[in-house]
Amino acid sequence: MGDHEARGDDFEKKAEKKLSGWGIFGSKYEDAADLFDKAANSFKLAKNWSRAAQVYIKIANCHMKGDSKHEAASAYVEAANCYKKFSPQEAAQALNQAYNLFLEIGRLNMAARYSKDIGEIYQQEQDLERASDYLERAADLFDSEGQSSQSNSIKQKVAEIAAQLEQYQKATEIFEAIARQSINNNLLKYSVRGILLNAGICQLCRGDAVAITNSIERYQDIDPTFSGTREYKLLADLAAAMDEGDVDAFTDAIKEFDSMTRLDPWKTTLLLRAKNELKKKEDDEDDLT
Amino acid sequence: MGEVFEGYERQYCEISASLARRCTAASALQGEKLKQKALEIKSGIDGAEALIRKMDLEARNQQPSVRAGLLAKLREYKSDLNNLKGTLKRVTTGNAQQGLREELLESGMAETLGVSADQKSRLLRITETQNKTTDRIRDSHRTMLETEDLGVSLLQDLHQQRQHLIHAHNTLDNVDDNIAKSRRIMGAMVRRMDKNKWIIGIIIAVLVLAILVILYFKFVH
Repeated sequence: MGDHEARGDDFEKKAEKKLSGWGIFGSKYEDAADLFDKAANSFKLAKNWSRAAQVYIKIANCHMKGDSKHEAASAYVEAANCYKKFSPQEAAQALNQAYNLFLEIGRLNMAARYSKDIGEIYQQEQDLERASDYLERAADLFDSEGQSSQSNSIKQKVAEIAAQLEQYQKATEIFEAIARQSINNNLLKYSVRGILLNAGICQLCRGDAVAITNSIERYQDIDPTFSGTREYKLLADLAAAMDEGDVDAFTDAIKEFDSMTRLDPWKTTLLLRAKNELKKKEDDEDDLT
Repeated sequence: MGEVFEGYERQYCEISASLARRCTAASALQGEKLKQKALEIKSGIDGAEALIRKMDLEARNQQPSVRAGLLAKLREYKSDLNNLKGTLKRVTTGNAQQGLREELLESGMAETLGVSADQKSRLLRITETQNKTTDRIRDSHRTMLETEDLGVSLLQDLHQQRQHLIHAHNTLDNVDDNIAKSRRIMGAMVRRMDKNKWIIGIIIAVLVLAILVILYFKFVH
């Protein structure tokens, strides 16, 4: 391992020397970048991620000066891969640089992919605002490239984050739009139930009983088979419980659904919020009476 | 004497009716409330039994002519009370089928001899099997739902891959065009290179010729 480190150091110094001198035929940037590349490889073999990442950033600078943005963007991506091993923030920054470069070049597909990566990193870091921002950009780019399926799956993530940030209206709209698009597609129509359930849960968190019943009817229009499903039954029960202000009925309906299929953490969080609101309303009513 | 019996009779009828009503109400309840109601109904049934015993005593004290009629009525009331007990048991255990069979067998008990232990054990076994079947059905339902979810996510992946493939196909068409173009350009480059070689060769030849001619003329003169 020490061997690789030493070789890496060697290459780096040679490359720096190349940069500081003036090269023949103005090819010094490419040569320096080559040497830097070898250095970075040695550092990766030595598992010294931080130095490898730094060297990749230097490569990117060389390529920028040498006017080849494509290479620079790839170098930033490699740097981000090394950063991911120890510092997600810096990885996100490196990917951001790469994303901007790809946008300039016009490779929207790659830009979208890396924007999605950035969004996921921020989501893991619980920086939900920025995550939602980048994921939205990624979804728009995928849409413009015609990759509607990836765009839909990213939009679902955006809607989930919006619901976590309590932007329930926005989340509901996104879910309903996705459901309308998917229902026409033979492959995707079986997932519409899950999407409509998510949309219904967002509506529940808003606490407006009339809106919920209207939405359930709307979902019936979007998907004719929705009324036969367990999801519809759950939503109807929860809406009724919310109407009556009955926390026990609420909990019972959820327990029944959970006994058949486990509820994932996102749904659990939102349903808990809705239940607490319902309990608060019930307590308020008790205080008044 | 008859009035006392009739008085007991009327009381018994009232109690029996109210108990029957409470049983049907209790069959819709669960848990704690059910237990409370069951206790109430049990105490009511005990009171009714006490009444029947008093009626029995009264009836035996009567004249033999009316005694037969009174005893017949008494037998009816006893079977009615047993029905109520059966209903209560059914409501508390919650197994309708078992309750019906018990009721059938218990009302038969009033006229025939008791239920044989054999039938009872058979009933228990049947109930056990039914419960196990219900559990197994629920489990298979759960597995089926998980499989369905898996299938849905597989379909989504397939859809994405389909789009990727279509995109790659289009990109490859572009690559095809570009390769054809570059082939032409390479051919043009090769031809130009040949042309240049020929031109330079000819110029060199002409220059050499010119030098030879000049030297020749220089030496001749």
